[in-house]
Amino acid sequence: MVIKMNFEYSEKDEKFRKEVKDWLDETLPKSLSEKVKKYQRLTKEDYEIFMNNLTAKGWLAWHWPKEYGGTGWNAIEKHIFEEEIIKASAPRIVPFGVNMLGPVLIEFGTEEQKNYYLPRILSNEDWWAQGYSEPGAGSDLASLKTTAVDKGDHYLVNGQKTWTTLGHHADKIFCLVKTDLKAKPQLGISFLLIDMDTPGVEVKPIITLDGEHEVNEVWFTNVKVPKKNIVGKENEGWTYAKYLLTFERTGIAGVPYSKSALNHLKMISKRSLKNGKPLIEDSIFSSEIAELEIDLLAMEIFNLRTVSAAAEGKAPGMESSLLKIKGTLVRQKTTELLRKALGPQALPYLPEQFDEGWNEMPVGPSYAGPIAKQYFNMRKISIYGGSNEIQKNIVAKASFGL
Amino acid sequence: MDFTLSEERKMLQETVGKFFNSNYKNIDKRSENVNLPEGYSKEFWKESSDLGVISALVSPKFGGLGGSGEDISIIFELVGKSLCVEPFLSSAVLSSSVLSSISNPRIDLITDIIEGNLLISFAHSEMNNRYEDHYIETKAYLKNDEWNINGTKSFVMNGDDASKIIVSARINGDVNDRDGIGLFLVDNDQTLKRPYNTIDGYRSTELTFKDLKGELLAKDENALKCIIKANSAGALALSAEALGIMQICFDLTLDYLKTRKQFGKSIGTFQSIQHRMVDMMLEIEQVKSAVMLASSTFETDDLTRDKNISAAKNLVGRVGKLIAEETIQLHGGIAMTWEYSAAHYAKRLIMIDHLMGDSDYHRDRFKLLSNF
Repeated sequence: MVIKMNFEYSEKDEKFRKEVKDWLDETLPKSLSEKVKKYQRLTKEDYEIFMNNLTAKGWLAWHWPKEYGGTGWNAIEKHIFEEEIIKASAPRIVPFGVNMLGPVLIEFGTEEQKNYYLPRILSNEDWWAQGYSEPGAGSDLASLKTTAVDKGDHYLVNGQKTWTTLGHHADKIFCLVKTDLKAKPQLGISFLLIDMDTPGVEVKPIITLDGEHEVNEVWFTNVKVPKKNIVGKENEGWTYAKYLLTFERTGIAGVPYSKSALNHLKMISKRSLKNGKPLIEDSIFSSEIAELEIDLLAMEIFNLRTVSAAAEGKAPGMESSLLKIKGTLVRQKTTELLRKALGPQALPYLPEQFDEGWNEMPVGPSYAGPIAKQYFNMRKISIYGGSNEIQKNIVAKASFGL
Repeated sequence: MDFTLSEERKMLQETVGKFFNSNYKNIDKRSENVNLPEGYSKEFWKESSDLGVISALVSPKFGGLGGSGEDISIIFELVGKSLCVEPFLSSAVLSSSVLSSISNPRIDLITDIIEGNLLISFAHSEMNNRYEDHYIETKAYLKNDEWNINGTKSFVMNGDDASKIIVSARINGDVNDRDGIGLFLVDNDQTLKRPYNTIDGYRSTELTFKDLKGELLAKDENALKCIIKANSAGALALSAEALGIMQICFDLTLDYLKTRKQFGKSIGTFQSIQHRMVDMMLEIEQVKSAVMLASSTFETDDLTRDKNISAAKNLVGRVGKLIAEETIQLHGGIAMTWEYSAAHYAKRLIMIDHLMGDSDYHRDRFKLLSNF
């Protein structure tokens, strides 16, 4: 008896996929998915509508164990869930509370912290931000300079965090701070929870090269933080941060995003003209699309192999890093070809068209507006979450034995 | 979803791997086989047959014990790891593919191939047909109820030692027509042969036919289908072979980076080199994924089969160049020598892109099959 390798989803998986899809069809407002499709700006309420729906369904904490109000899904189910919410053009689940802080608290938090914070994450009562990067600490995160000085009943925090995504909506921020100034870089760091409305916390917008306000600077000037807000032990925050970074990330390759971008690219290449003929009939351009599609096809299988191994209990190690590198390169290539496909139609920049309700005439086809902006925005993905160069260092260190 | 090999296939992989390693101990042993009169070891070929390696490449429907896409991939990944020069591709994959996909499958001949008693080469390539399935200049005509063949076939793998040859020839129409093609079986003792070694160590031959009698195996649509299928099976086998070679190239390079010292430390400690190794590792995972997909859909409909095989072979061409060139560059001078094995792996990896369709050919076929 020869049993074939099986690349198909099981019947049970397909049933689950249908359940997710049906639920999205039913609950995700069309006006909201239209906004996502058109790359329009999302308000805080837009994110909350979707996340509150997930809360009501019990699916918000899709990474958490069941006993904490999570789903208890295996890696394949998580993968399907992620794929379907992207396919449905839902807003992204803001990850800082539920996907990042939640697992750290579950693993390292006190009972009091778990009882207080986890239900508030589950109900979307608290909007969390991540306070890791600093102006002088990017890839070399451990060299961070924000200090928290022990003042008996509280820490006194001073310093500056940066690239704080959606920090202008946040109620709270989890921060890596220096509690032992004399210790070597990775040793004197603590993991601190800070209320954004504490006196001395100031949020300043950073406008990115695409003209958008997504990230911020967060300044701390003599901010008093109660000592009970420390997670785990003092000076051991680096361990918790690393735990978070290595936390199972099945969707890191962004396959569904690239798949939908590839379809969009083909559609636009059929409508754009070159010498009066559809651009897709240009052999050189279509060859670029074809090789991108082949890379994506291979990456999807690579991703599924990793997901499937994770479902069997094998924690993805360097695979996450490899998928992050390839995933960002493929996704950036889709935005590059989309930009090229438009030719001069990529030039007009009408920032007001990304506001809800804008109904003036665009310059050129309606799909052209966001393409160049999106290309520039997507340069970030090979920089954040550990730049591709850092990912390569991680793989080399973990698996080459050099 | 299950991406692991079944127990049976794991055993096949292990047994065949050990067997290949025991014969192909090192690159000198391979050179010995390359320099034998037939360009390969007849003894090793017979032993492969006895162990069931050839049989593993043929479906049970036609007298074999395997023949699935996964079987082909497992065997050829190992062929690549050892750089075996025996006629696994020419006889066991290409010819037996044709003989099993014609209307009246020739199980008698396939059985002889499996038993190691008969070598049949597939002569489709010509000096001017590049990688096309249907462009054929060689002609066949009917006279007194007998088929006669005229023309020259090029790059016929193991075409000197094979006793029989499967020849594609044009029965009617223009050289570039998709119709009017025939497949014929001829005896190889009456052909004019010009054998030579290829740059990567394989034996190939120019075969010229002058009014040579042949037996018709298939014609028109069926003949073209058989050619396409055989070439696809060959492209899959070569993709898996390339995957095996890439893994060896990576391992050899990594080993070398640990031992070679310059500026007072092993060169593997340099970040610029580590990053290039990660790029190689990542692309090898991509190739592995594409080969797995192509293997798993080898027995589905022709369209899915050919689309996924073209995806794999295109990627193999691109990544093969990366791995071969980086293997040589990261080794430095030593990889420029005939003596060192990495050079031979790199050469085969590059030349695989010159067989059964290069990366451009398969990219274009992928476009065609995906309705671009």
